[in-house]
Amino acid sequence: MQIDINNLSFAYGHKLVLEKLSLIVNPGSFLVIRGKNGTGKTTLIKCLLGINLVKNGMIFYDHNDINSFKDWTSVGYVSQVIDEFNYEFPITVNELLNITRLRKVKENRKLKLLDQMGILEILNENIGSLSGGQLQRVFIVKSILNHPSLLILDEPTASIDKKNVEYFYETVNQLNAEGTTIILITHDEYLDSYNYSHVLQMNSDFSYAFRKRNAIEEKEAK
Amino acid sequence: MFLSFFSDLIEQDFMLRALISGLILGVIAPLIGSIVVIRRLSFIADTLGHFSLVGISVSLFLSVTVPGTLSVILAENPLYFGIALSVIGGLLIELFRRYYKTYKEISMVIVMSIGTALSAIFLSISGKTGTLYNYMFGSILTISWDSVIMVAVAAVLVFFLFAFFGKQIISVSFDENNAKFRGVNLGLFQIIFIIMLSIVVSVMLESAGVLLISSMMIIPIAASMKIGWSYRSTTTIAIMFSELSVIIGLWASYSFHLPSGAAIVSVNVIILVVVALLRKAIQKHNIAKHPSEPTE
Repeated sequence: MQIDINNLSFAYGHKLVLEKLSLIVNPGSFLVIRGKNGTGKTTLIKCLLGINLVKNGMIFYDHNDINSFKDWTSVGYVSQVIDEFNYEFPITVNELLNITRLRKVKENRKLKLLDQMGILEILNENIGSLSGGQLQRVFIVKSILNHPSLLILDEPTASIDKKNVEYFYETVNQLNAEGTTIILITHDEYLDSYNYSHVLQMNSDFSYAFRKRNAIEEKEAK
Repeated sequence: MFLSFFSDLIEQDFMLRALISGLILGVIAPLIGSIVVIRRLSFIADTLGHFSLVGISVSLFLSVTVPGTLSVILAENPLYFGIALSVIGGLLIELFRRYYKTYKEISMVIVMSIGTALSAIFLSISGKTGTLYNYMFGSILTISWDSVIMVAVAAVLVFFLFAFFGKQIISVSFDENNAKFRGVNLGLFQIIFIIMLSIVVSVMLESAGVLLISSMMIIPIAASMKIGWSYRSTTTIAIMFSELSVIIGLWASYSFHLPSGAAIVSVNVIILVVVALLRKAIQKHNIAKHPSEPTE
């Protein structure tokens, strides 16, 4: 999916968080968003997800204005915190994924993704009994189950332990290789594990640097 | 005592009506209840019940003011107005919920207050406050065939919605924020759900009464969610608890001349307590057996 962000500004009340950000993410790109806390990374993601209403500037998904965009099933999203989910009512991983799965998606895909993420054995376990890391991996499977053409990830590895995070890198890189456009917020320490193509550096003075991966590597090599 | 209860069940028309309507409600109340619990709206049935009562009281008020056959219809079938007002109450809750975004429960108090005030006013000026008791506490033993049919129609509607949109209903209830990535229009979903709930609440009014509708919806779920291991098992167990309560409750009501709604809900509560105690005992037993393993 092509994403065209054009002169985007966003404020919470009077507090300006994003100012005049413009960039184009081409289909199949893998964009990493870097920046310190408070530079507007999550705000930008919320704009891209239609959670924050875009009033100043524009966002286009494949040339469709985001404010009238309808095809949200082609967007996958994993948030930083998953505590908004209701854990006390029993539901198994299998049930959760089945109610998420759109009709056109085959049952096999669910099992394959769970296996890829190393959590096939918890298929019939109650969500409430899982560890934070297992849960996060279930939510990642949930977000990519319906073949999204755009996958947005906000520090998705925060609660996954080091041992299991490899599964995640492999899955994300593979999805990108298959053509899924990816936008990822992550800490620099994990950066090398991803086959990203572009970087957006966000700074607190509202300056933004959008570059291809090679340009940065060359610069850092010097 | 049991034997005469069962022979009377078959011989007495009113017992048959009570049993049929009770058994149908025993399935749909916890089914809807599961969604209500997941969406953290446990008080909503109370609110809708109070608003539905406005319809009943308006119908009774009109029956003493309008002349002729219309008056008889209004007096005998106040439930039509009850259903209509319950739906209006439901839509009002949704309206206020969007207005008070962070304090959504305020909407229920507002709607419940309007409902209580209006029904008290209309019942009082219609001079039919005597019927209030039946609507407050329910009287499944006096339910008419017309009402049984309405209960059945509401049940068909619920089954239809769950059969075709069950996945969407459950998925959005667990995770409202991600509804649109699942291709669900959240606003429309909320409206359809509240209309369905309003209809179920109003047809439960005669059997369970305003004050006990919530209990029939929520308590079986409250018990089963502590022992269920999946959504399916939890709702299935809740329906079994609920049907058991209806049968034992009706028997107790018939044999000891207890109010039927109260008898059914009391059995529900006893089941809840037994489940809680058993679960505690099993946990203790497990800890004693395998002291190192966590039980949850």
